[in-house]
Amino acid sequence: MSYGLLIPELIIAASALIVLLAVFMKDGGKKFAGYVSIVALLVSLILVLKDGLVTPTPYFNDTIVIDPLSQIFNMIFLLVSLLVVIGGIRYNEDKPHAEIFYSLLLFATLGMMVVAISNDLIPLFVGFELASLATYPMAAFERTKRGIEASMKYFVIGALSSSLLLFGMSYIYGVAGTTNIPQIADALSLNLMKPASLLGLLFIVSGFGFKMALVPFHMWAVDVYDGAPHLVTALLSSASKKMAFVAAFKILVVGLIALRFDWYIGLALLAVLTMTLGNVVAAVQRSVKRMLAYSSVAHAGYIAIAFVVISKSLAEAEIALAGGILHIFSHALMNAGAFIVAAIIAAAVISKVKPGEEDNLDNYAGLGKIAPVTALMMAILMLSLGGVPPMFGFWSKAVIFLSAIKADLLWLAIIGVLNSALSLYYYARVVMYMYYRDPVIERVNEPLMYVLPVAIATMGVILLGLYPPTYEWAFEAARTLLMMGGIL
Amino acid sequence: MMSGYMEIALITIVGILFPVIAFVASWLLRPSHPNDEKFTIYECGEIALGGDSRKNIGIQFYLFALIFVIFDVEAIFLYPWAVSFGGLGAFAFIEMMIFIGVLVAGYAYAWKIGALEWVGDA
Repeated sequence: MSYGLLIPELIIAASALIVLLAVFMKDGGKKFAGYVSIVALLVSLILVLKDGLVTPTPYFNDTIVIDPLSQIFNMIFLLVSLLVVIGGIRYNEDKPHAEIFYSLLLFATLGMMVVAISNDLIPLFVGFELASLATYPMAAFERTKRGIEASMKYFVIGALSSSLLLFGMSYIYGVAGTTNIPQIADALSLNLMKPASLLGLLFIVSGFGFKMALVPFHMWAVDVYDGAPHLVTALLSSASKKMAFVAAFKILVVGLIALRFDWYIGLALLAVLTMTLGNVVAAVQRSVKRMLAYSSVAHAGYIAIAFVVISKSLAEAEIALAGGILHIFSHALMNAGAFIVAAIIAAAVISKVKPGEEDNLDNYAGLGKIAPVTALMMAILMLSLGGVPPMFGFWSKAVIFLSAIKADLLWLAIIGVLNSALSLYYYARVVMYMYYRDPVIERVNEPLMYVLPVAIATMGVILLGLYPPTYEWAFEAARTLLMMGGIL
Repeated sequence: MMSGYMEIALITIVGILFPVIAFVASWLLRPSHPNDEKFTIYECGEIALGGDSRKNIGIQFYLFALIFVIFDVEAIFLYPWAVSFGGLGAFAFIEMMIFIGVLVAGYAYAWKIGALEWVGDA
């Protein structure tokens, strides 16, 4: 048996340990740790892209399967981590124990990748916990009062969601008698409407709901995203949250399809509440970081439309899932880029204006003159988040809304479009501040290691939406998932 | 089906009766000389904290416990591996070396950053 397809995961695992041992170097190994992480993530990313749309290959008694779905999610996780690590080189310049930052980040990435490739509830939960446990301390990396508060909240809510998840899984196991996900689908379809399997799925929905930050499970997310360092927030909202989506796709899609149960009203309510609340509250925020945090809640609502469509109409499940995956991809890029921009502003601009007043929108005034490159990229990212064509954020959202229309959920698509229009107000406000307000200081130096990841994200946002293989990947991944659930 | 549960019921009954009988027997047989020392709370041989347990405890206890657990788990894996080592061959040996290597790397890191230096009661 060849382990060729598992090499990306092995590289990440090995580098996470090597990075820790950088403390034995004379200079503390700060630079070394950073560059090893970059190389490891880059090589893994290239390997994942090279293997591309593999035929599903099982490993370890079918507990792990590498398939197009896991490949596209591994690509997203590796890409986001790569962006964060590149930014981390500059961020860690004045921080002690940089090796912890890189090591935790690589372990978190490994956990997410394990979730993406697992075909069984046990490795899925282990990967989920690895990613969660690695990100709890990262939120408190600066040891500020707010950072520790954020980390504590994240830990308590994370523990709660993990226990709900595990409890739900135990019910599912009790009904199905197996932890293998495709076999669960078969077993559940024979045990239609058993209260235990419904209860199990309900617990799992709540468990993932916390991690996905769907309303009403979203309260922690905004505080954590706000209190954590910018780069960690980029990782949390762009990768960690996406991990919950792939896990939910795997379990819920299989479960929902197997149970043939009409959950779509409930799920639709969840999606509508999530996007509306996220957008309305984001619109009144003065802090850019909080605004982005609420907007990321709203985007989780758009992605949740995929669940609604699947439970309404199986015929449109493929396009709905592909839309969900595409939007996960585009939002990961846009959001990571935007949070790293906020890191640039905090490091290069605000420290010169009024220290302590981080992230206030007023500090973005005249950014077009203070930091023209950053401002241009931020403008593109903001417009893409708001869904302005021809950016990736528009296309991915369009596919989701299209799937809703095709599944006779026109009202849901309309609510989605109205929400998009509302969101454009606060995204465009940032652009307005950057270009139509007078700058308060002279032009500043934009740190290269912060600009580089944002530039990569921005290029991705501009190009990927117009690049047909992106859609091929997403649709292929959706088909794989449906095959796992026993349709197609 | 029933017989399987009967055994569990039997164990439950014995489990309840055993301490009851032991306490009743010792209560009947022992001489009774209560004093202050006998009434202090037993806390693993430590000096008792007394009534108020809301005290800060040095975070290092937690750190040491964590590092201890790592080696505890290692022992759990090493034991069955050692017992069936003869039949496993070179592959299992390399696998176990990697496993130990991972733990050693973590231990070396904890040592280097000074996690094992006792700073005293916080």
